[in-house]
Parts: sequence; C-alpha cells; structure tokens
Amino acid sequence: MISIEQPIIQMQGVEKVYGGYSPALKGVDLEISKGEFVFLTGPSGSGKSTLLKLLFCAERPTGGSIVVDDMDLSTLSGSQIPYLRRKVGVIFQDFKLLPNYTVFDNVALSLEVLGLTRKQVEKRVTAIIESVGLLEKINRLAVQLSGGEQQRVAIARAVVNRPPIILADEPTGNLDRARTTEVVELMNELNARGTTIIFATHDETLFTNTHRRVLTLREGILERDQKG
Amino acid sequence: MIPGTFFKRALRDLKQNLFTHLMTTGVVAFSCLLFVIFGLFSFNLQQFVEKFGRELAVVVYLKKDVSQEKIPSLYKRINALDGVESVEFISSEDAYRELQAFLKDEKEILEGVDPLFLPPSFQVEINRAVFNIDKVKKIAEIMSQWPEVAKVQYGQEWVDRLEAISQVTRNIVIIAGVLLLLTATFVVSNTIKLTVYARQEEIEIMRLVGATNGFIQGPFLIEAFFQGFIGASFAILVSWLLYRYLAESVSATPLLKDMDLHFLPMEYVGGVLAVSTLFCVLGTYIALRRFLKS
Repeated sequence: MISIEQPIIQMQGVEKVYGGYSPALKGVDLEISKGEFVFLTGPSGSGKSTLLKLLFCAERPTGGSIVVDDMDLSTLSGSQIPYLRRKVGVIFQDFKLLPNYTVFDNVALSLEVLGLTRKQVEKRVTAIIESVGLLEKINRLAVQLSGGEQQRVAIARAVVNRPPIILADEPTGNLDRARTTEVVELMNELNARGTTIIFATHDETLFTNTHRRVLTLREGILERDQKG
Repeated sequence: MIPGTFFKRALRDLKQNLFTHLMTTGVVAFSCLLFVIFGLFSFNLQQFVEKFGRELAVVVYLKKDVSQEKIPSLYKRINALDGVESVEFISSEDAYRELQAFLKDEKEILEGVDPLFLPPSFQVEINRAVFNIDKVKKIAEIMSQWPEVAKVQYGQEWVDRLEAISQVTRNIVIIAGVLLLLTATFVVSNTIKLTVYARQEEIEIMRLVGATNGFIQGPFLIEAFFQGFIGASFAILVSWLLYRYLAESVSATPLLKDMDLHFLPMEYVGGVLAVSTLFCVLGTYIALRRFLKS
C-alpha cells in the first residue's frame, strides 16, 4: 500500500545560477509525495527543465538542499549519481534514443546497467515493449520509428527498471494531439501503479480540468502550487 | 557486470560503429606500418654495417728475423686474446704462393724475386658474436706492441668509415624513431578522441540511465584493445610481405645476392604489438576519463 503523504522529493530554498546570468531558479521550496502526479508548467525559460535537471543531478544547485528518495543530492558524490539515476526515469522532448540501436536494445540499456542476466533483460524488455504497443517493432532501429513511437520507446526505457520517480521534460512537445493523448495515458497508467510523476509541459490543455497538482514556475520562482 | 556482458556489448558496438572502428584501426595500422618499415630499414642497415665489419680480418706481419721456434708461442698468445675467433699462420713461402695465384697469368713478373721476400704473417679472425669495432682496434693495438710484430693491418680506414656510418645510422634511427613515434602518438590519440566524441550521445544516454563509469568504459577499452592489436598485426603482416618481396628480389639480383635481408627480431615485433595495444587502451581510457568527468 503506497501512502501518498510520504515525501519522495524535498527541495528547500533551491537556487540555480548559471555563471554570470540571472538565476534560473530562486528559492524554490517544494515537497512531492510518493505516488503523486504533478504537472510542472510555465513559459519557456521559466526554469522547468532546470528544476528537473537538478532532480537527476544533470545540474547541481548553487544553493539550498534537495533530497530525492532519501538521497541528499547536496552531498552526493559523482560515483553515486548512477545509483540516483536508477531511481529516476527521465523522458525528454527529443527522446534521446540511440538511433542505430533497435527498440529492444534501447530499452534493454536501462537493465543492462543493473547487471541483470540476458534472460531477465529479455523477459522484462519484451513485457514493457508490449505494454507500450510496439512488440511488432521490437527489432526495428529507433531511427525507423515515427515520433510517437520513439517517445513510447523512451517511456519504456525510463520505466523498465521500475524506478519510483519519472521525470518527463516536455515529452509531448514534438507530438501531434493523438500521440500526445497516448503518452499522457501511459503516464496515467504508470502513476496508477504507484510511480511518482513530474510532467513538465507548457501545454495547458493537458492539465486543465484534471484533478492533478499543477506547479507553475515563472522566471525561476515557484509562482503557484495548485493542489489537485 | 560480468566480463561476458562487456564483450557482448563491445561486439555489438563494433558492428554498429564499423566504419569508425575500421577508420581508427586503419590509422593505427598505418602509423604502425610506418614505424615497422622504418624499423625494418634501420635494422637491416645496421645488420649490413655489422656484417661488413665482421668480414674484416686483422693481418699481423712479423719481422723477418723472427725465428720459426717463436711461431707456436705467438700463435698461442694471439689465440688467447679476448675476442679472437681463429688464427692462421701464413709463412713467407705461403704468401709468395698466394701472390703467384693472385697474379695468375702475370706471375712472370715475380721471376728472379726471392720467395722469402714477403714477411710471414698471422691472419686473425675476430669472433662474430662479440664483434665490435673498438675491440678490433684494441686487439690490433696490443699486438702491434709485441717486439716480434712489424705491422698490424686491419683496414683502419674501413674501420673508421664503418664506425662513422654506424654512428650516423644509430643517430638517424634514434631521431627518426622518436619523430615517428611522436607523429604516430599524435595521430592515433586524436583519432581515438574523435572516436570517443563521435559516440558522445551514446555515452550521455548511458549515463542518463544510470550506467557507472566502469560500465561505459568496459566495452570501449575492449574495442581499443582490438583496434591496437589488429592495427599493429596488420602492419606487421604487410611489412612481412614487403620484406619477403624484397628478399626475393635481392636474391634474384646477381649484384646483391650476398646481401642478406632480415625481418625484424621477435622482440621488436612483440614490442610493436604491445605498445600499439597499450597505447590504444590508455588513449581511450584518458579520452573517456576526461569526457566522463565533464
């Protein structure tokens, strides 16, 4: 039984300044519970991507503290970052797939890094690819897929190792309406199974009239926290 | 992570990045080839110089008044000298006969000449295994100080020329070898860097899904091992074929048929393989380390 009260992400007074420029994030205080589905929105340059990058240590904060699933990121050494990333699945607008790898190999990468046997990898990868509806294209190269299919592969890769947290950075930014709906539905399914999701988007139609929590960033400041 | 998985991933990467791998292996092979051919040339040049030197004999001319009884003891003294391979006594009569044989049809010019006019001598051969120009000089110097000896001849001019050639060859080998090694190092290390940078996206994605540095580096290092080893092996094979071709051509040419060509010694071949492999693995490790730190 998952308690949605237990915080899985805690940010206190988080600042991020890119050398010499105005701060990308200013004093962000935030707490996200286990199993929550949170939309993160705001105009371009508001700090959405920066906030997500801080959560999987692609960037380090210049101030404040961040705790992700009991890992204090301010004291996390470089050699511990891979272990954080195994707890955080990340989905990008540009998919970040290896174009010359097959669908299977792209997804399997997340499990290979864990040192699983080939048999275990095959079983879990096949199951997840089936769940995103791409089983018949499992041996195709990523470059041979459509944008929507590539994004589904990216989602499969992010979730195949069953991370407790998914960070999605504008995952529907390059997709048409029908493919966008598919991606959102996949996210809902994952959340229903207990995965905490932070979904960054500037597409308001995705969260209008939903019961989801919506965080709004503007010029690096957490302007609004609308509970679902 | 078990080594088997590293090998499987390395094999998959080799297939997927075949062109890049072929290019890197080609650059390694070309650099090694230049080095091996240069080595082959300098090794044979030195062998030639040494062989030429070994063929020089030392002739010890005795004073005419040296009695026959002293010959055996002199023979023993010369034989006892360090580096002497064999000694042959040539009496005045023997020398006269040799001269006659040498003159062939012109031997009439010796008519009326005393057969004992030529001094008796010893022909001394230096041990080939320990041959060295300084040793020849030293032996000649010792013998020339003996009272029974009139003159020691060992082709002083030739020895001096040989010494100079040998010295120049050695210097050229060292300078050109260092320059070639630096060039090969520069070319190969830059090719390795380019190979790593070409796969920057792949590395980034692996890091994104939680790959440790060891997981990322493993297959790269295995690939680098094969690039270094195969590249060097290819260079050695090509240079061996070239050597065979040249050796056959030389033996078929009457003027050059006494010139023995040698392939590089096994230590040199092993050294090229080891250095090339080690260099590729280390170069990849350094390029990756810089990249993974960023």
